[in-house]
Amino acid sequence: MNEKKKKRIKELEEMIEIVLLSIPREIASQKYYQKALEKASSDTTIKFFKTFVEEEKKHEANLKKILKDLQTELKQLKKSK
Amino acid sequence: MKKSDFQQFNGKDGKPAYIAYKGHIYNVSKSKHWKNGAHMNSHMAGEDLTDAFYDAPHGVEVLERLEKVGILEDETEYSPADERKEALRDLYRKFHPHPMLIHFPIGSLFLGAVLQFLCLITRNSSLENAAFYAFVFGTLFEFPAVISGIISWWLNYDLTLTSIFKNKLIFSIILLLISCFIVIIRFCIADISFQINIFSLIYNIAIFSSIIVLVILGYHSGKITWH
Repeated sequence: MNEKKKKRIKELEEMIEIVLLSIPREIASQKYYQKALEKASSDTTIKFFKTFVEEEKKHEANLKKILKDLQTELKQLKKSK
Repeated sequence: MKKSDFQQFNGKDGKPAYIAYKGHIYNVSKSKHWKNGAHMNSHMAGEDLTDAFYDAPHGVEVLERLEKVGILEDETEYSPADERKEALRDLYRKFHPHPMLIHFPIGSLFLGAVLQFLCLITRNSSLENAAFYAFVFGTLFEFPAVISGIISWWLNYDLTLTSIFKNKLIFSIILLLISCFIVIIRFCIADISFQINIFSLIYNIAIFSSIIVLVILGYHSGKITWH
């Protein structure tokens, strides 16, 4: 395995770890804001927390997509000679 | 419908236009927002738009007006098994058993090592007995702590083996072996702490090395929480 490939594998593994550890945080934030949303009474607060929940959902979806892409690239790189 | 078949319904060349959301397929052929299989120049028919809905200016209620034409067969992301996993994940998030259980072995093993250290200085047998029982308690609680940790790893990270989890697994096994060794040896040789021989030396090294392993484990757990 050449040095360039080794370096890329290491980079991908580090990126996967970062993204992987970030996903449950986004989900936890979503649930947290969702709880606040259920307890909110004023329209402004409801709107505020709704935006937060949606934002966290977007982050989760984007991170999952990135993770999938990184894992695919790593798999392909490890398979290639 | 298989994903490969579904992708053919792209709304072009007279073909119907289908989109998918969470495993369900919807027909958008008659929608004025989906001319020639394209929506707002950013989404195409024949695509799974589950993730795209999070960025959409409208909610999923727009799907209610569409005809549901089938299920995406190779859509595994929202299978009943995944839904069960999600329910378990919620339960775990509510009761967080791993962070709760992990403190029992940490506290007990650390206390055991401190008591053993005091026993070596004072030669007091009560301290030695207390150290032994702290190690028994700590060792017993290691098992639920490790099991809950593995379940947490499965629920939150799909058992993905990155360097942090690899290290956590290795050092958990080392800690289990060390603490079982300590308990078994002390159980078999009751006065081992008061002997002066190689077994006593190994026994004490094992006790104090368990603290080093605990610190390493704590460092990696901290990386998960505070990275």
